[in-house]
Amino acid sequence: MSLIKQLWIAVLCITLLALGGSLVVSTLSARNYLVQELTVKNIDNAGSLALTLSHSAKDPIMIELQIAARFDTGHYRRISLVAPDGGMLAERSHEDATPGAPDWFTRLIPLQAEPGVAQVQDGWKQFGTLTLESNSRYAYESLWKATQRLLMWFSAGGLLIGALGSALIKRIVRPLNDVVAQAQAIGERRFISVTEPGTAEFRGVVRAMNALSRRVRHMLSEESERLEALRQRTQHDELTGLMTRTYFMRRLESALSRENARSGGVLVIARLGNAATLNRMLGRHTVDALIRAIGDCFKQVAMGCHDADVGRLNGTDFAFLTTGHEDAEAVANALRGLLAKVLDTFHDKASIALPMGAGAFASGTQATSLLANVDGALASAEQEGAHTLKLAQPERSNRTHRDISGWRSALEAALNGGNLRLGSFPVLDTQGALLHFESPVRLSIDGDWQPAGYFMPWAARLAMTGLIDAAVARQAVARIRSDGRPLGINLSAESLCDAAFRSDLLALLDTAPAVGAQLWIEVPEYGVVQHPAEFRELCRSLKPHGCRIGIEHAGRPFDRIKDLHDLGLDYLKVDVSIISGIDQDTGNQNVLRSLCTVAHSIGLQVIAEGVTNTAERDALAQLGLDGMTGPGVHLQS
Amino acid sequence: MSNTFPALRRFLSSSIAQGLLILLLPFSMATLVVAGADLTRMEHIAATRYGPEAAASVRDWRAMLEASIGSDDDVRLARINNFFNRRIRFDEDTRIWQQSDFWATPLETLSRAAGDCEDFAIAKYASLMLIGIPARQLRLIYVRARIGGADSKLSQAHMVVGYFPTPEAEPLILDNLIGEVRPASRRPDLTPVFSFGSDGLWVGGSRESAADPTARLSRWRDALQRMRAEGLDLAP
Repeated sequence: MSLIKQLWIAVLCITLLALGGSLVVSTLSARNYLVQELTVKNIDNAGSLALTLSHSAKDPIMIELQIAARFDTGHYRRISLVAPDGGMLAERSHEDATPGAPDWFTRLIPLQAEPGVAQVQDGWKQFGTLTLESNSRYAYESLWKATQRLLMWFSAGGLLIGALGSALIKRIVRPLNDVVAQAQAIGERRFISVTEPGTAEFRGVVRAMNALSRRVRHMLSEESERLEALRQRTQHDELTGLMTRTYFMRRLESALSRENARSGGVLVIARLGNAATLNRMLGRHTVDALIRAIGDCFKQVAMGCHDADVGRLNGTDFAFLTTGHEDAEAVANALRGLLAKVLDTFHDKASIALPMGAGAFASGTQATSLLANVDGALASAEQEGAHTLKLAQPERSNRTHRDISGWRSALEAALNGGNLRLGSFPVLDTQGALLHFESPVRLSIDGDWQPAGYFMPWAARLAMTGLIDAAVARQAVARIRSDGRPLGINLSAESLCDAAFRSDLLALLDTAPAVGAQLWIEVPEYGVVQHPAEFRELCRSLKPHGCRIGIEHAGRPFDRIKDLHDLGLDYLKVDVSIISGIDQDTGNQNVLRSLCTVAHSIGLQVIAEGVTNTAERDALAQLGLDGMTGPGVHLQS
Repeated sequence: MSNTFPALRRFLSSSIAQGLLILLLPFSMATLVVAGADLTRMEHIAATRYGPEAAASVRDWRAMLEASIGSDDDVRLARINNFFNRRIRFDEDTRIWQQSDFWATPLETLSRAAGDCEDFAIAKYASLMLIGIPARQLRLIYVRARIGGADSKLSQAHMVVGYFPTPEAEPLILDNLIGEVRPASRRPDLTPVFSFGSDGLWVGGSRESAADPTARLSRWRDALQRMRAEGLDLAP
């Protein structure tokens, strides 16, 4: 039974007891008082009438008259005079049919007053015994009226107490609702803090829970910072702080295999010419300073872009990778502008050559061919001059070239025609059991089923990602309904901000309550970083449906993990750039091990993306990961 | 102790009375006819409250009553009348009790060895009931008494006890003005005004509860209550 019901029952019982008891006590004491008064009246009136009769003439008529006179003008039920031998000398009685109160009342609360008895003398002789009974009708009336009045007042009082009790109980219990909400949130691994309420008992509980949340947050921030430091050490170059070659290459591979709105981008490589000569002329320290300055330049530009990676490929080569843009020239020129300023400061010492090659790529490009193209551009830039920029020729693709309105009509045609399909890639746990099927979206455009990387960048530009994601969700729900296996769908970062899409998704889940628990929803990491408030709102609204929410392609700075403690996230999918070659990369092994510890402490599952072979699978299982997916992961049926 | 917290005293003594009554009932049944009377207890109260002389008086009274039980009417009426007339000194309530009008119980009268006409009457009435005379044959009678001789014009308010051998007969008067018990016709100095008793107060089998506040309103009922507290229950 709920606390409110229990409190209500207690208040009700106490009120009934108090008022009922008061009513009974009042009525009984009123009854006792009335009986006493009637008895005294009987005794007194009997005595005075007996005295009068003792001193009057004793003929029967006189006696009769005296008694009648008293009876008729008074409030008596019976007056009788009995001779010493038992004979009746005179009597008057009056049985009142209506006692002045309902029959059940007179039966329940009888008013029995003793009759008054007095002696009548005739000189010295005993004349008779006078018995006198007063009429109790008016007594009953007044008792009944008093009881009625009391009942009415007590009912009114009871109702008032009921109303006041309601208000009071609600007020007392209100902070309890917040306490319960916080406890439930912590149970769902959302370590939130609330303001301490006024009530002492609740305050204690809330303080303890706040302390727990605080400790979790603190632990999380410390661990994530440590993790980040570890990652930096393993993956980054000591001198410049840029990524190492291996890691940059992995990032490149990961960016090329991405299938969302950020497919496609620009790769720029710059080479510092005459390194040996420079070393001789300027000395090690200056050259180091120069390299550092160039690295800082690159980092500055990278910070200006949303999702950019900068790496040092070898002693002289600097690489810049950005996704989401396709204009290689603009990116390269931005770099060049900044670099020119840096190089100016060193110009008086020596002439520095920094030619650049830049190339754009789209989803589906191979890493080797892209690198070859950009290298070729760089080589020809080196031939031409010290500060030349050469653009690589874009790959000839057999895709149809469209402008933006063309894309809009193509996408609308695909969506309206229902030409949407979901792929199916299994995500397994370390035992080989199925966690869910990843379901990337495919649209039929240009007569073929195209992967998301083909059309998502354009959909993002046209703000149609919400429509696509809604269609994906509908198909996923239908599929779960039909075969009952859990599915994972990808939401675009742009859809996070789409309020229409969010309400559509929630409405869809409302119509299919059982499906929610089988649905895994993931958002790319850059989306969470860009729109944290919207992501938080999404988590909060999806939680009641039982959906599992996760972040995919997680691999960038891990110090953001500390902000995840109160979202109630369910899982994290680690980007292939960290997973690839994990069986040999001890640095990344340490990073992953720490990540698993931190994630598990707030109840997150850690799943690896892009697993290619069994060596990686075994290594990952040993590191404590919860699941894996990729080309090397197949469901044993 | 005797004048402080009278209500408390009464309450305590009544509850003690119940307890002692249970214990001593067999003894009292053996000695006196009226089951509600407990003269042993009255003796104890006399001893503790009023002193050894009062206790001695109670013992004498008890002996006198026990001796009178089997006798004729004349003998026992005379004995009771004389017992009180000789032992109790006539005095005003103002001097004995420092109150303008006070109806004393037999024990209170015996303890002071003094009383006014009501006190005499009450004591004799109680004695007559204790030896088994039913209440309907006894009356306390308000009379107008002519004092100072047959031709005197002086009269005073007085109370006597009347005993009716049969319901129609004239009563025999027990009085302290004249020590002899005489029939009413031989008492021309007395004019009856009003008579009362204790029988009308027990009609319907009700017994007065000690907690009935109206009992204290009438002097007679109050006196009866106090008698009960001392062990003298005159209810049939």
